[in-house]
Amino acid sequence: MRKRTIFIVGLCLILISMAAGQVKRPEELIFPPLKFEPPDPRQFRLNLAQGMRAYLQEDHSLPLVNLQAIIHFGDLYVAKEKTGLGSLMSQTLIKGGTKTRDGSQIEDRLDFLGASLNFSVGERISTLSLSILSKDLEEGLDLFFDVLMNPEFREDSLKVAKGRLIEQLKTANDAPSAVLAREFERLLYGDHPLTYQPTRATVEAISREDLKAYHQKYFFPRNIILVAAGDFNKRTFVDRVNKYISGWKNQNLVFPTISRNFPEVEPGVYFIQKKINQGYVSIGHLGIEDTNPDYFAVQVMNFILGGGSFTSRITSKVRSDEGLAYNTGSRFTYRWGFPGTFSGYVQTKSSTVGYAISLILKEFDRIRQELVSEAEMETAINYYLESFSEFFTNPITTMRNFALLELQGKPMDYYKTYRDKIRRVTREKVLEVARKYIKPEKMVMVIVGDWEPCNQGDPKFPGPLSRLGKVHQITLRDPLTGEPVK
Amino acid sequence: MRKRPLLALLIVFLMGWPLLAGELKLEVIEHQLANGLKILMLPRPGVPRVVCHIYYKVGSVNEHPGITGIAHVHEHMMFKGTKIMGVTDFEADHALNQKIDELMGKIYREKYWKKKGDMAKVAEWEKEVEKLLKEEKKYIIKDHLWETYMKHGGTGLNASTSYEVTGYYVTLPSNKIELQMLLEADRMANAYFREFYSEKDVVMEERRLSENRPGYLFNEQVQATFFVGSPYHWNVIGWMDDLKKMTKEDLIEFHNKYYVPNNAVAVYVGDFDPREVIQLAEKYFGPIPRGKDIEPVRTPVQAQNCEKRIIGEGPAPSSIAIWFHIPPDGDPETYPLSVLASILTGDTGRLYKSLIQEKDVASMVSAFCRPQWYAGSFVVNARPKTEKGIKPDDLESHLWAELEKVKKEGVTPEELQKAKNRYEASFIMSLQSPMALASRLGRAELNRGWRSLITDLEAIKKVTGDDIKAVASKYFVRSNSLVAIYRRSFGR
Repeated sequence: MRKRTIFIVGLCLILISMAAGQVKRPEELIFPPLKFEPPDPRQFRLNLAQGMRAYLQEDHSLPLVNLQAIIHFGDLYVAKEKTGLGSLMSQTLIKGGTKTRDGSQIEDRLDFLGASLNFSVGERISTLSLSILSKDLEEGLDLFFDVLMNPEFREDSLKVAKGRLIEQLKTANDAPSAVLAREFERLLYGDHPLTYQPTRATVEAISREDLKAYHQKYFFPRNIILVAAGDFNKRTFVDRVNKYISGWKNQNLVFPTISRNFPEVEPGVYFIQKKINQGYVSIGHLGIEDTNPDYFAVQVMNFILGGGSFTSRITSKVRSDEGLAYNTGSRFTYRWGFPGTFSGYVQTKSSTVGYAISLILKEFDRIRQELVSEAEMETAINYYLESFSEFFTNPITTMRNFALLELQGKPMDYYKTYRDKIRRVTREKVLEVARKYIKPEKMVMVIVGDWEPCNQGDPKFPGPLSRLGKVHQITLRDPLTGEPVK
Repeated sequence: MRKRPLLALLIVFLMGWPLLAGELKLEVIEHQLANGLKILMLPRPGVPRVVCHIYYKVGSVNEHPGITGIAHVHEHMMFKGTKIMGVTDFEADHALNQKIDELMGKIYREKYWKKKGDMAKVAEWEKEVEKLLKEEKKYIIKDHLWETYMKHGGTGLNASTSYEVTGYYVTLPSNKIELQMLLEADRMANAYFREFYSEKDVVMEERRLSENRPGYLFNEQVQATFFVGSPYHWNVIGWMDDLKKMTKEDLIEFHNKYYVPNNAVAVYVGDFDPREVIQLAEKYFGPIPRGKDIEPVRTPVQAQNCEKRIIGEGPAPSSIAIWFHIPPDGDPETYPLSVLASILTGDTGRLYKSLIQEKDVASMVSAFCRPQWYAGSFVVNARPKTEKGIKPDDLESHLWAELEKVKKEGVTPEELQKAKNRYEASFIMSLQSPMALASRLGRAELNRGWRSLITDLEAIKKVTGDDIKAVASKYFVRSNSLVAIYRRSFGR
C-alpha cells in the first residue's frame, strides 16, 4: 500500500513539473503571496513579583528551556580605577559560588545535567543565561536564581580570574584587528568610560567587596528583565520564579552621569606600526544613535554604500573589481545612549593601503554627490522587507529583543512599524542622510600596518600616505601599565 | 533525453524517518533524484522562512600539491556567474574571456615556468589583459547571484569550504524556495568562471589575513608536520604559491569532476511543504546529468612510528600542544576518545582543575577529539601562567601526567555519565538552530549518512570506563605524538 501511494505521489509531481515548463531566469519566477505579521510584545509581557518584568514564550518543539536575566549594569558604570571589574564579575559570578554552594559544585552539577549557565557583562547590559533540558528545569531555576541573587565571589575564584585576565591583557596588542578596533574608538571617544582599558593596577585593585558592592547596587528585581522561551508552562514557571524573588529587595539606584562630550579629533592619517604584510584600516568618525529618526534611512544608505556585502558599492569596487581585499565595506555601529561610529574598512596588502583608502573615500563622496540608482534602492528596500521575518525565527532572541526595547525606552511598536519606515525611505532621503552623516572634513584614517611598504604605495596610488592627510604616528600602550610602549 | 523523467518516476523515494534522541521525534524526509542528488527535508512550521543549503562532497582533501586551495578558490568562483547570471551578453563575454585566458596562460608560462622569464613581454601582455578586462566590464553584472538572493530577502547568505565538504547557504522566505532551486541548479550545471584572476587576488588577501593572526603560521606548520603524506597536510586556504600559479584550466577540471548531482545533497529546514520541494527539485536539478563516480581519497595518513617535536616563536601567547593520531570519523574507537576529551576539557574538566585550580601553572587549557573523515587527531593544549615565570615547556610533564592517569586509573562513573549527558544535551540544543541542523544533516549525509547523527549518539551512550582506558593506552604514546611548543618572542 505504502509503495503505491509513493508511486502516485511521484507520478503527480513529475507530471506537474513537466507541465510547468522550465523557467530560465530568476526574473521570470512568480512567487505566491506571503503574509507575515510580527508577534506583538504585549502578548508575552508579564509583571513578576517585586516589579521584575518578564517576556515569556512557551515553545514545545524541543525539550529545552532558554532563560536569561537581563540586568541594567555594565562596564560603563564602573569607576575608572576599577576598570576590569566587569570582566572579573563575568568570571566569578558563577565560579565564586553562593551563600550555600561552592562555585565548582554549581558548575559540576549543571555540567552533569548537560546544561549551560553563562554570565557576561557588557557596556550597559549584563546577561545571565541558562540553557537546560526541560526535565531539569526546576533544579536549573534553583541554581540560576541562587547565582543571580546570592553570589559570594569567593577569593580563590577571584584569584584565578585575576590571573587569567592579566594573561589575557598581555595579548591585547597581538591581533591587528583588535588593536585597530580599540585605537579607532579611543581616538573618537577620547579618554572616556566607553574606552577605558584595564591594567594590572586596576585589576589588582578590585576586591571581593567591590564585586559584592556592585552586585548589591545593580542586581535587584526592578533593574532586571527576565526572558524565557521553551518547553515550560507559563503559569507554573511564573509561580516558581516569584517564589525565588518575592523576598528580594529593590534598591534606590541613581545611575552615574556619563559625559556625552567627545573630543574634536584632528582629521588625517593615524598610523600604528606593526610588522605585518597587510594594512588594517578604519576610516570614519562618530556616528548616530539608533533612536535617531533618520535611522532607517541611514541603514538603507549604508546598505548601498558598504553594508550590503556584495551588493554594496565599496565591496563591489574594492574587492570584486580590484581584488584588493577579502574584507571591505562600511558600517554604522550603535550603542545605547551614545552615538556609535561610522567607518569604512578594509584590510589589504601593504602596498595597496593608500589605493584602497582612496577608493573608499571616492565612494563616500559619490553617495554624497548624487542620487543612488532606482535599482540599488529596490535591492536595499526589498532586502529589509523580505528578510524581516528572520528577526523572529528564534523565540529566545525574540523575547530578548522585546525586553531590550523596553529597557532602552524604545517604542514597543518598533517591529510593527519597521517595514513602513523602511518603505518610506526615498532616494532623496538617502542623499540627504549621506550628506548629513558622512563628513569628509572630519574623517580620521586609522591604519595598523608596516609603515615603509604602506607609505610607499604602488603605481596606482604611489605614496606617501600624507597625500591623504596629515600623518600622526600612534604609539601603542603597554596593556599592563597603560603607558606608551618604549 | 525524454526518457529521464520516466526513469526518475520509477525511483522516486519518499519516506519519513523519525530522528530519535531521547523523546525527540523529528521527521527527516528523504528523496533522491535519478541523477543521484539527495534531498533532505525537515519541515518546521512557524515563521515562514526556509534554510536552503546545498553541500558537495569536495574539499581540500581532494586537492594535491600544486593546486592546494583550489576547493576554496572554486567556492569563491561559484559566485561569479553562469551563462545566464552575471552577464548581459554571454557570447561576447566568452570571446573576451578566451582572449584573457590565452594571454594569462602566456604570462604564467613566462613568470612561473621559466627561471628568468621575459618581464618586458609580461608587462606588455598584462597591459593587453587590462584593456580586455576593461572591455569585459560592460558585459558583467556584478555579483548578480548575490544581489538576486538579497533582494528576495536572502539571509545567512554564504558559502564555506572545509577539508571534506563545500556548502552554499541561503535562508529565504517560504514562498521563494524556487529561486534557490533555479540558481543552485544553474550554477551546478553552468558555472562560468569570469573575473578569475582578480578573485585569486581576493583569496590571497584572505590568506594574508590568516597569516596576520598571531600564531597562524606556526599552527599551519604543526598541522603540516602532523599530517605528513596526507591531504590534511595543508590548510583549506592552500599554500600561497599554489594560489598564485593555479590556472583556470585547473578550476574547470575540478568543477567538472566534483560538481555533479551524484556528489551533492540539498537540505531544507523550515516552514515549507515537502511535496513542493520535491517537485521543484525534480524540475530544476532533475535534468542535470549524473557525473562519473568519484574515487575516495587514497592516502588518509601515514603511520608515524616516531615521536615528533616542533618548536616555534612569534607574536602570540606562549603555548604547548600535544597531538595524537586517532582513527577517522565513524571508527568505534572514536566514541570513547570523544567522551574522554569531554572529561578533560572545559571549566569542570580534569585539565582545568589540575593545571589551573590546583597547581596554578596554566591560564588556559583545553582538549579536543577531532575524528575527520579520513584521519583523526586528539589534542591537549595549555597556555602557561607567565606571571609565575612558567614556560610552555614546563607544562609538558603536567599534560602527560594527566594522560598517564587516565591510562592507569581510568575515569570515574560520574565523569563518564556527565560526558554522556553533555553530549546528548548539546545534541538536542544543536537542533534549535535550523542553520546548524541543516549543516549537520548535510555533512553527515555525505560521509556516513545523516542517520549517523543518531547512531553516534547511541554509541556514545554505550561507552564504558574500560573502553576509555583501552584507547588512552593505545593512542597516548610518544611514538604516536607530536609536541608543539610555541614561545612568545616579541610584542606583548
